[in-house]
Amino acid sequence: MKGFKTQDSEFKIQNSKIKIQDSRFRIFVFSLLTIHFSLFLSGCSKQDRIYRESRISMDTICTITIVSSSKRQAKEAVDAGFAEIKRLEGLLNFFSPDSEITAINRSSGYKPVRVSKETLVIIKKAVRISDYTDGAFDPAVGPLMRLWGFSDKGISGVIPTPQEIKNILPLVDYRKIKINDSTSEIFLEKKGMELDLGGIAKGYAADKAIEVIKSRGIKAALVAIGGDIRGYGLKPDKKPWRVGIQNPRPKSENIEPQAEKEDIFVSLYLKDAAISTSGDYQRSFIKDGVRYHHILDPKTGFPAGRAMSVSVIAPEGYMADAISTGVFVLGPEKGIKLLESLGLSGIIVDVNKKIFLTKDLQGKITIEKTL
Amino acid sequence: MDKLLLLLLIVLTITGFLLARSLLEPGNVVRVSSENKTLYVLSLDEDRTVLVRGPLGDNVIEIKSRKARIKDATCPDKLCTHQGWIHRGAIICLPNRVVVTVGADKRDERYDAILK
Repeated sequence: MKGFKTQDSEFKIQNSKIKIQDSRFRIFVFSLLTIHFSLFLSGCSKQDRIYRESRISMDTICTITIVSSSKRQAKEAVDAGFAEIKRLEGLLNFFSPDSEITAINRSSGYKPVRVSKETLVIIKKAVRISDYTDGAFDPAVGPLMRLWGFSDKGISGVIPTPQEIKNILPLVDYRKIKINDSTSEIFLEKKGMELDLGGIAKGYAADKAIEVIKSRGIKAALVAIGGDIRGYGLKPDKKPWRVGIQNPRPKSENIEPQAEKEDIFVSLYLKDAAISTSGDYQRSFIKDGVRYHHILDPKTGFPAGRAMSVSVIAPEGYMADAISTGVFVLGPEKGIKLLESLGLSGIIVDVNKKIFLTKDLQGKITIEKTL
Repeated sequence: MDKLLLLLLIVLTITGFLLARSLLEPGNVVRVSSENKTLYVLSLDEDRTVLVRGPLGDNVIEIKSRKARIKDATCPDKLCTHQGWIHRGAIICLPNRVVVTVGADKRDERYDAILK
């Protein structure tokens, strides 16, 4: 009997050990289940997350970033944003044979063309910025872009002769764009004139994509169409969007362009605003050691030579986009003066790599490195 | 039995994580650069041909059926054209300093967006 009792108590002890292990195991499984369940639920729970997607549109890489507590809502908003960008690409493309812009260009010097309200509005915005910048930004730059061979098919790399440029220059004049509000018609007065909204279309598309995303109840989003960005709201960590501006002259001769750490010279927080960067390094070619880029000075017909990189912060994307182009042409002194008179902010790097800031930005941005 | 369930749960958790991450990751991007500057960022999903002018001559880059190649080149050895189609990785035309890479863009985590 004694022996049996001992065995029994030993058995009980072992059994209780098993029970202890078993309960630990259950807690572990339970906690795992909880984690798992909450992961599943994160799609519809109250926790905000960042969703991001990139696609190619408007001949550049577009990234839409959304803060949402619902993955489905985020995905739908992202799709709607991209659909809006695609729609505007079709409407405003200088190169597309069936865009309204092409129709206007084909009838230059011949007859006014009736266009959609939206095309009319954007052309009016473009002309207003031409006025602000005294023609440094000019949407009638089309024939000049064509002459220099900056197109969606590639960069021709051929430098036009001064005579060729002289012949084209009279066509580059925004004051010869006649807008008739009541009939919704646009008329280019001189034959051979061509509108090229490349300097405003991406910023405008960012505005419209943000509008579409906002209308879906998204509380914060960032739309980047190449070098044109518009954002609103705060991230889940309650901070505004952090944006970096690329060094116009990266030092590393890196043959692999997809580096994990970008070469950034300035960074800043963007809250409910737009920022655009115009750089001489964007679409350019080098011939005999000289860099020729796509930001052409409408007055001289040559690539503007007063700056390397210009970033403008404005309430709306179309403004930041077009004014950054205009300021790039104007150069740092006139550019800073213009930005301050318009109540906008800007960062200009001149050809000697000197950084100029509007007064309101001093102390508010982070200079990551000297150039 | 319990251990099997545990294993299953762990696998499910990990795949769930990966799936959620991959769903909104950027798709495949073809990047064409010359002399260390990106000239084109193109989608692998859209068939297209672009011409790149390098210091020695032209390279014709073709994207077709989710693959990319250097179709033609004016460089002396034409090694790049012999490399044929790629759906990932890079083709480098050394004499002309033209690089074609295919793959998802890596992202600098310090920033929400970069102005290029």
